[in-house]
Amino acid sequence: MATTLKEREVVIVGGGLSAGLIARKLVPLGRDVLVLERGAPRSGSESQLPSQRDELRWGIQRGLVQRENVETYTLRHAPEETALPMRRLLSFLPGFGVGGGASHWNGQTWRFQTTDYILRSHLEQRYGKAAIPSDMTVQDWGIRYEDLELYYTLFEKLFGISGKAGNIKGVKQEGGNPFEPWRAEEFPLPPLEPSEAGLIFKAAVEKLGYKPFPMPAANASRAYTNPDGMKLGACQYCGHCERFVCEANAKASPDQLLFPFIADKPNFELRTHAEALLINYDKADRRVTGVTYIDTQTGEEFTQPASTIVLGSYVLSNTRLLLLSGIGEPYDPRTGKGVVGKNYCYQTISGVSVFFEDRYINPFMGAGAYGMVIDEFNNDHFDHSGLGFFGGAFINATITNGRPITTRALPPATPRWGSAWKAANAKWYLRSFNISCHGTSYSHRSNCMDLDPDYRDAYGRPLLRIAFDFPENDLKMSLFVTQKAHDIAKATGATIVGTPAPRRGPYDSRIYQSTHNTGGTIIGADRPTSVVSPHLQSWDAQNLFITGASVFPQNSGYNPTGAVGALGLRLADDLVSYLERPRFL
Amino acid sequence: MITFRHCITIAVTLGLAVPSAGAQDTTRGKAVYEACIVCHKLDPKSTDQGPTLVGVIGRRSGALDDFRYSRAIVRANIVWDESTLDAYLADPQSYIVGMRMPFGGIPDKAERADLIAYLKTLR
Repeated sequence: MATTLKEREVVIVGGGLSAGLIARKLVPLGRDVLVLERGAPRSGSESQLPSQRDELRWGIQRGLVQRENVETYTLRHAPEETALPMRRLLSFLPGFGVGGGASHWNGQTWRFQTTDYILRSHLEQRYGKAAIPSDMTVQDWGIRYEDLELYYTLFEKLFGISGKAGNIKGVKQEGGNPFEPWRAEEFPLPPLEPSEAGLIFKAAVEKLGYKPFPMPAANASRAYTNPDGMKLGACQYCGHCERFVCEANAKASPDQLLFPFIADKPNFELRTHAEALLINYDKADRRVTGVTYIDTQTGEEFTQPASTIVLGSYVLSNTRLLLLSGIGEPYDPRTGKGVVGKNYCYQTISGVSVFFEDRYINPFMGAGAYGMVIDEFNNDHFDHSGLGFFGGAFINATITNGRPITTRALPPATPRWGSAWKAANAKWYLRSFNISCHGTSYSHRSNCMDLDPDYRDAYGRPLLRIAFDFPENDLKMSLFVTQKAHDIAKATGATIVGTPAPRRGPYDSRIYQSTHNTGGTIIGADRPTSVVSPHLQSWDAQNLFITGASVFPQNSGYNPTGAVGALGLRLADDLVSYLERPRFL
Repeated sequence: MITFRHCITIAVTLGLAVPSAGAQDTTRGKAVYEACIVCHKLDPKSTDQGPTLVGVIGRRSGALDDFRYSRAIVRANIVWDESTLDAYLADPQSYIVGMRMPFGGIPDKAERADLIAYLKTLR
């Protein structure tokens, strides 16, 4: 029997990036905000030297990530198949603990392209309606890049992003990304120092006529103080970003920059070890009334009444909570009806390795977004007429890390074991890097999520069932961009160019690709095609807002965190207005 | 703001050597300290990430009870003064091999001098 607690004004489910961005706005205005986070605060050995840098514990055993013995997902490649549980979460890493995924992220921080927000109408206009495959369910967001530009700018300032602008108010900037959507200002910090791999990549792509630029990074190139007075140290290039808490406090994260800003305010509470089980929904009244959660340390259940609820948990958790709570119409891939669970997308990653007899790459000097990039073949930056696919990828040489257990760059035909394998490891560790393609993932009619009929989590709730495989469109795209990466690899003058590895199906959940799962609670201009309105308000409950990458109708070629940040900050402003006068925005 | 003349006066009064590069400036030193402050908070009780630097001048390395130092810092057994701090901050990893502070150092001698002047004001 759940104990009912005192009502709170705003309850945010999930203590990650979205919660931090919303709370930093509402709390100083005097609004009462409670954040429910299922994991622990970041004050244990994960954030203390020297244990912070333990690759086995945080990297291999994924210490900052959701535990599979409590909750996992089931997977099938198509809705006709029977799904089986993922016994290890290896392909993607749902965050667990304060800061969530934005605590253990790499820090690659992009703005989505203007066309991402109007994808269907853009493609129809440029290539004609008939050019879009009937099973490609991409759609417009119902908001435009222009609505979000100021929030992107604010997010970059709050997170101290290091980079070089490519387009300030329509004026192209030398050294930046020529395809960048316009921005109001230069990045708050200059780019990270160039890496050897970045310089090799830069020379090669310039030879081919492309325009390289440094990757926008949430790894601070200098010590930084953000507009809230919160501080970052300078990146030390230690190569322990993704899967780790930053030891130099140089990686922007909610636990470093957002929650401490309001931690001591009496109208703010961050309640940890609080796993939301259900959103209590009054269907007749079309309102949510509170959150039922379990204290994971005591096993006690509580009902937390709330006048306004924000779902800001992980993509997959947002979708699952709606399905478990009976809010909105579940998506049916056979009929195409319903919306909750629709348009699950991922990221289409591929690459090719290069090996140099005479150059030292020294990958132990790395950072999560320590890269040089070209954007010529991303999104709709090139003409897709006659190519048979849409979308693309940015191509980059990024030295995220050279951690000892997992860094195994070996040329083709290296034996898989024995002394020759050891010798090749020793020889090439310092002298190789990967040129990778970070590609779009466009929604497909049969890629979706629902509740599994067979498998349950530790609390007895059905697991989320994912139906996903790479659509033909994305496989063709990957083949195309990986060929471009191969051309660049050959132009680097490498001693050995590895075998290009375009993404191939079926989707293999045992191999890490990215934690860029998207969709399930998608945004859109009208109720039949979306779960949330352009203001992220649930069509089925006026006082419920949903944010994060779960609202993306399809995934861009860029990493999602910048876009999630901009959405969160815009929602914070919308909530200020909503709380003054509750209504459909 | 402490002027050049004041610095000379203080230095002479305290019997310290004035570096030929020019007088130390605690205001500039405070700006340099921005690179440290995210771990070394100004709150003397804070051991959040790094030990507090309030009162560091004259302290023995690894001396605070409430901070878990690396063995290297404790074994170094040095007293933090102008010359040891200057050598340490120039290249921390080389000066005390095996210490854990994730910081590459301050290559500019004048900046180090300003920083040390500022550290002296933290009491």
